[in-house]
Amino acid sequence: MSTIGDSAQHISGAGESGKECPDWQALLERIPYARHLGLEVQRGDAGVLVHLPCREALIGNFMLPALHGGVLGALIELTARVAAQSQDAETRCPRILDSHINYLRSAKARSTFARADIVRQGRRTSLVQVTCWQGDENKPIATGQVQLLLPTMAAQQEDRHGH
Amino acid sequence: MAKPNTVQHSNAVATAWQLTEQVPHGRELGMQVVSVDQGQVCMRLTPQSWMFSQEDTKEICTSVLYSLADSAGGLAVFAGALELMPIATLDLRMDYLRPAGGDQALLAVATCRHLTDEVAFIHCDILSEGNRELLATANATFMRNTQGQQFHAGGRERESA
Repeated sequence: MSTIGDSAQHISGAGESGKECPDWQALLERIPYARHLGLEVQRGDAGVLVHLPCREALIGNFMLPALHGGVLGALIELTARVAAQSQDAETRCPRILDSHINYLRSAKARSTFARADIVRQGRRTSLVQVTCWQGDENKPIATGQVQLLLPTMAAQQEDRHGH
Repeated sequence: MAKPNTVQHSNAVATAWQLTEQVPHGRELGMQVVSVDQGQVCMRLTPQSWMFSQEDTKEICTSVLYSLADSAGGLAVFAGALELMPIATLDLRMDYLRPAGGDQALLAVATCRHLTDEVAFIHCDILSEGNRELLATANATFMRNTQGQQFHAGGRERESA
């Protein structure tokens, strides 16, 4: 099970596999849980990707075997968070309000990639659409929409007076 | 007249424990089964520092709550059907009402709202153990009886992914 992780060969035009995107990588590394999962930023031809290397502890169904649905949830939420934060002029740390994830195909025990599309970056909120795939980017295994709150002075005041 | 995979309710807790123990990711996060009743389960998770969402605020990453809701939801399908069959999450929607402090254990209470032959509708609340504050709610739909042939053949034939 330790050899299930494959390399960056599925990234479009992965001639320079693993070439880092410093901003995203720095933002990810500030998240202890992202470090624990081993999330790493890669740059493909079509933009920035987040790579989730596979390891046995991420398995949710060992009969198939398949990744745990919650692991894909984490990949989607953390990719959305870093995408929203990197888009923000002040790189404010967003708070995840909600996420809705649809599982499209079974997630095999192998490397998974995620790409974020900003649906709308507002002054106070950001809506991010994330797509996950394994071998073929055209066959996504899960998509998710994540709504994030960017802290403002007013919101911080509100926070102090209860939710 | 019991179906071959049907289990007695008295054995449900033991079976649920076993199922949870067999899931590597649940084991890694330290998920425990607290109780299993007809159609409802309770699970518990003790936070650890690697689960935090930032270094400075000792706040548990929302994705840990998500994993817990997904696991408790899957177990609730089993608790509703009392039948062992492979399931798959179709979709899951989480609302994060409050930040989850890292100083308190998380409780997940998942209820099977409706069950058909093919689908199970699940609701899950995530609470903090101490003050019972509601931290997050989830609604999930699970497909039942998925990939039965692979499930049964799993021991003999591994996919060469």
